[in-house]
Amino acid sequence: MTIVRTEKLSKVYNADTVPVHALNNVCIEIDEGEFTALRGPSGSGKTTLLNMIGGLDKPTEGKVFINGEEISKMKDSQRIDFRLRNIGFVFQHYNLIPVFTAAENVAFIMMLQGRDKREIQERTNKLLDQVGLGDRKDARPAQLSGGQQQRVAVARALASEPRFILADEPTANLDTKAAMNLLDIMEKMNREQSITFVFSTHDQRVIDRARRVITMVDGAIDQDEIQDPDNTQAG
Amino acid sequence: MRTLLTLSWRNIWRHPARSGVLLAAIIAGLWAGVVTVGLVNGLMQQRIDYLIEGEITHAQIHHPEFLAEGYSWLYIPDHAAIVDWLENDQRVVSFTSRTITDGMLQSPVKTAGVRVRGIDLPSETRTTNFHENLVAGAYLGSDVRNAVVIGERLASEHNMELGNRIVLTFEDVDNELTSAAFNIVGLFRSASVDYDERNVFVRADELNALLSEAPVHHEIGIMLTDETLAGEVADALNTAFPDIRAQTWRQLSPELSMIVELGGVMVVLITLIIMLALAFGILNTMLMALFERMREIGMLLSIGMSRRRVFGMIMLEASMLTMAGAAAGMALATLSINYFSARGLNLEMFAEGAAQLGWDHVIYPALSALEYITILAVVVIITMLASLYPAFKGIRINPLDAARDA
Repeated sequence: MTIVRTEKLSKVYNADTVPVHALNNVCIEIDEGEFTALRGPSGSGKTTLLNMIGGLDKPTEGKVFINGEEISKMKDSQRIDFRLRNIGFVFQHYNLIPVFTAAENVAFIMMLQGRDKREIQERTNKLLDQVGLGDRKDARPAQLSGGQQQRVAVARALASEPRFILADEPTANLDTKAAMNLLDIMEKMNREQSITFVFSTHDQRVIDRARRVITMVDGAIDQDEIQDPDNTQAG
Repeated sequence: MRTLLTLSWRNIWRHPARSGVLLAAIIAGLWAGVVTVGLVNGLMQQRIDYLIEGEITHAQIHHPEFLAEGYSWLYIPDHAAIVDWLENDQRVVSFTSRTITDGMLQSPVKTAGVRVRGIDLPSETRTTNFHENLVAGAYLGSDVRNAVVIGERLASEHNMELGNRIVLTFEDVDNELTSAAFNIVGLFRSASVDYDERNVFVRADELNALLSEAPVHHEIGIMLTDETLAGEVADALNTAFPDIRAQTWRQLSPELSMIVELGGVMVVLITLIIMLALAFGILNTMLMALFERMREIGMLLSIGMSRRRVFGMIMLEASMLTMAGAAAGMALATLSINYFSARGLNLEMFAEGAAQLGWDHVIYPALSALEYITILAVVVIITMLASLYPAFKGIRINPLDAARDA
């Protein structure tokens, strides 16, 4: 089942002065359960595409459909609510709320969804256990390592039970061990729970683990290939 | 909501020093403002109470032209009937009749223009507390014939002391000049130097003997069960006795009435000035906090926190910080006001200047519940206004800021 579909997606920055074409007629489809990496050099448009898919930015031309709903024509408040219920985000800089504990960071998004207090507590505990931080629930971000913070961010992204998770350079600030550990967790969730992950990345470690790799150059899709992660990992 | 409150409260304490300084400024500013308002209020209330309870009373009756002309033949007509009316009105606590004339005081040193006030000692003492101003000698209850009580300041200017004699000259009700020697039996000192220099007190019956064949009265001072009844009692008297003029203390002393009106404005003005200064502190702190958290707020918007909630979070932060400071400042101010309202704040060093203006130098600060509420309302409104700009700036943050480099 197709979760994400874009139609002739274009984005032009500074249209009135010096136009920069960040995206040019991008058409992609991402199905449920995919583990996809968007790669490309800086300025290739992968983060812009991720922002369009995530409803964080509006295209200059073209359409974005999530689960059949066109989010590119939604109003700002509608897109915020849509993101809350359908999309999980993992950022390069973790972006946890520093004054909240790990558990509070995970619970916060469910509170925004208006869920029941008991359900929030149970799901928070479950998610933190899944990312291996069951014993660090009460730690604040400053008391956690980068890898642990990013695992909390993954738990937070999953907390809202989104259709898919967008991760922008999730391993860029992590050492190899932490990066591999994070990828193991995400891959396991993808395999066991069919959670869809879309990464924007430069990191070969992520690209090697992805089952689909979309290469972007100058705002357009240059290559879209399915790979066998077992082979790439082995290599 | 609870999570939002927790988040806002913790956000405040991200930088304890910065929030602490603002909190201290709010506490100190509000304490100073509330105590100042309390002192100004106390000073005004003392002045009002002093004048009402010491002389003016809640309402007065005169001949319609007496206050403008001051002649002794402009006495109150139908005095007996008015007294009867007053004795039978439940709203009247007490009243006293006064015989008043303007004249000259002669001493061996010099002469001075004075107002001679003939009082009925028992009813005057029941109605006013002017007798408490006596600083030397006795009041008019002594056996000395033609006794007079004069201001301490007046006595000093004329080099006179207790037991000395003065001559008072004035016009009687038939327009004839009359004079008599009076013996100084007492000295008074009121809050007003001017009043002390221009008023002397004698017994009404002795003054009447010089003024007229039959007793005459120029003023009736009335104390009521409640000050707010003054208007309706004065109206009732004016209707019942068309040949007199009954007036409330506000009509008799418009400047005093203005002080009361000013009091209310002062509360708002002083609080407003202090809070306006603090508003810039709040604005600065909130803007700094906002600029530091652009990426975090971008993240909140990205993950689905509505702009309304972001707005609420910023407003809550400012409100909680200000309310915590306001509560502490108000508590501290209440303690200070309670302490000084019981003991008085003695501004001895300004005593002489205050006396020249007719003000007491020992101030008992006072603040009503309504004034506390007014101050709180001003604090809340100013805080809300100061928080609006950072809050509106906060909701205009682009969620894409979440992905930007630190």
